[in-house]
Amino acid sequence: MWVIIRWIRTNAYPLLALLLFSFSFNLVLRYQLYQHSYYFNNSVAFFRGVDQARTNLTIYLGLRKENEYLKNENAQLRQQLNQKHPERYQSYDTVFRDTSLPQAQQPTYTYMPAEVVRNTTNKRDNYFYINQGTNNGIEIGMAVLSPKGIAGVVVTTSNNFSRVMSVLHSDFELTPFIPDLNLRQGVVKWEGTDARFGYLKEVNRTEDVKKGQWILSSNYSSIFPPSIPVGRVVATSKPLQQQYQQIKIAFATDFHRLHYVYCVKNHVKAEIDALNITTQP
Amino acid sequence: MIQALKIALIALTIAFLQAFILQQVDMGFWLHPMPYLMLFFIIPLNFDRFSYLILGFVFGTFIDLLSGSFGTHAASCVAMVFFKHYIERRFVDFESLQLQGESYLSLHSRGWVTFFYYAISLIGIHHLVFFSLDFFSLSHLGDILLSTLVSSIGTFLLVLLYKNVFNK
Repeated sequence: MWVIIRWIRTNAYPLLALLLFSFSFNLVLRYQLYQHSYYFNNSVAFFRGVDQARTNLTIYLGLRKENEYLKNENAQLRQQLNQKHPERYQSYDTVFRDTSLPQAQQPTYTYMPAEVVRNTTNKRDNYFYINQGTNNGIEIGMAVLSPKGIAGVVVTTSNNFSRVMSVLHSDFELTPFIPDLNLRQGVVKWEGTDARFGYLKEVNRTEDVKKGQWILSSNYSSIFPPSIPVGRVVATSKPLQQQYQQIKIAFATDFHRLHYVYCVKNHVKAEIDALNITTQP
Repeated sequence: MIQALKIALIALTIAFLQAFILQQVDMGFWLHPMPYLMLFFIIPLNFDRFSYLILGFVFGTFIDLLSGSFGTHAASCVAMVFFKHYIERRFVDFESLQLQGESYLSLHSRGWVTFFYYAISLIGIHHLVFFSLDFFSLSHLGDILLSTLVSSIGTFLLVLLYKNVFNK
């Protein structure tokens, strides 16, 4: 306080001059017509500019929240899409579906958004961790999708986090569906070298797999929803001595940039698994 | 006391002169001489600087009132008086002036050159502030500077005239 008073006393002369000057300046701005209009026109433009800059900045800072919001909305939309147009996702399904039954109106899959908190791509067996756990309804065995394609399967859960076996794992296997050939055959595996590419094995050499064809998840899987992109064929080769052809695929998901993912709950999985158990000898 | 009355009378006179004669005469776009600044050249140098600031403000406001402008003269007078304090410290040796028996810097006390620098810098500051406030736009920068230059010369000549006529 004393410092301020002392500062005012030492600078009293410039301060008084400033006070008187600003008072007269205020008079000029207030009562001289030309200066008044000039000042107010330009100050309005100036403050609109400042407003615009501030809005731009706050929009940028709010991007994270916005992302969150869009992610939730996306999950909701995906669920609605699945619910309202099951034929769109299962158009190749030859099984007759009786939609008049109330169970059929129930959504088969529920999508839950999650965020990847830790991820590896350079090990032989890769896992990533998501920030959703049993408290949020995550269960072991749920599929995890990235916005572009499949990402993994939940293997361990805690209260708030889950460990997901990535597609980049030696134990990961998936039966694909190639819509161009209407083919459900083979196994998608990762060889352990490059996170961008995997291999589709055990496809008969008679099948006409071409470069650029999409590989989707099949409806045989009890984990993954059907028609989720797995990748695209980038190269095929048919070794002479073998029955199967070598197909190299590029994963649809960019595992280096895995951030927002969806966990998929399959509501009929338990039922199907129960069938499996009962039919086993 | 008598000196104060004399200064007040002079102030009134030059204020009326400024407002009712000089500002009514059209002397060209750039020439607006303001010889009322001569008041600030005849006020004693040992005058209190705070009172000086307030005096400048009051005098400028008075001229504003008479000439129908609001605040331009007052603002420029305040700016001029503020810088006058520092300029006097630089140009004027007040103690030797007092020994000479003079209370303010006149034409003959330190010679023409000193007075010229002293007066033209003060007049220049005043006119620069005045015309900046008058044009009030950076796009008229050329007009502001030219008006400042031309009017400063005009004001300076009128101040010289006053000093030559009345101070002898």
